[in-house]
Amino acid sequence: MIELQSYEGYSVGDQLEELSQSVDQNMIDAYADASGDVNPLHIDPEFAKTTFFGRTIAHGLLTLAFVSRVLSQWNWQGWAYGGELNVSFLGPVYPGDTVRVSGEIDQIEKRDDGIYARCQLTCFCDDRKVVKGFVICKISH
Amino acid sequence: MSDYVKYSSMAEGDAFLDPIPSFEVTKERVEKYIQSTKDETEQLQIKDDQGRQVAPPMLAAVYVIEALRTKVGPPGGIHAKQQFKFHRPAYIGETLFTSANVLKLYERKGRHYVEMTTETRNQDGELITSGMITRIWGKET
Repeated sequence: MIELQSYEGYSVGDQLEELSQSVDQNMIDAYADASGDVNPLHIDPEFAKTTFFGRTIAHGLLTLAFVSRVLSQWNWQGWAYGGELNVSFLGPVYPGDTVRVSGEIDQIEKRDDGIYARCQLTCFCDDRKVVKGFVICKISH
Repeated sequence: MSDYVKYSSMAEGDAFLDPIPSFEVTKERVEKYIQSTKDETEQLQIKDDQGRQVAPPMLAAVYVIEALRTKVGPPGGIHAKQQFKFHRPAYIGETLFTSANVLKLYERKGRHYVEMTTETRNQDGELITSGMITRIWGKET
């Protein structure tokens, strides 16, 4: 593996275009319906009151759908065909929150099968980090 | 007898899903997912040169979680970490099969954690997505 500082228009330090997406209970319910994940923690306010969170929270994977939107817009081919994601869920997204997805290239590497960019990734609700990790996209064969 | 999988019933190395469940990638499911996540990626609206329509890479969150949901933990479990590698997007009309293996079981701060690897292939055995999921097991009553 060889590390590069830049490659064909991609450079270490480049920012991904930020995405802001508001989340409400209707969106959470729609995701529950689409995904079939009807865990009461997400859709049942009475049940959610009895949990550590005290109210409903969005599916963590809904937040990752926003991450995927950012990467699909940035580099569809490199994301959909060989993309990698590795994240931790740090905190809940509540109805009424706005999720902001932010990313920056921190490494460009040449592997045997192509050139890959790694982006450090953070999702915020206001100043609160809710998801953190990295994604990898193939940027050239 | 409980209708969920007890933490104590699992062992590292176990195949978690037996039989392996199937998932039909239907137009309706994909459209519902796209609408609920507000994904406007252009490539999702057009067919490729072979007339196939792709699903969003993060639909993996639906077919993997749906497979895992065929054996559920207690209510209130939450998703702590997620890794995915998207080998290629699924196409509408494909049938997917997701297998899962228990990788690691551990306790931290009084909570039970379960790490599993997952692998999704289509009806012809082509690899679509691989990944790893870490779940905090719900409280058993």
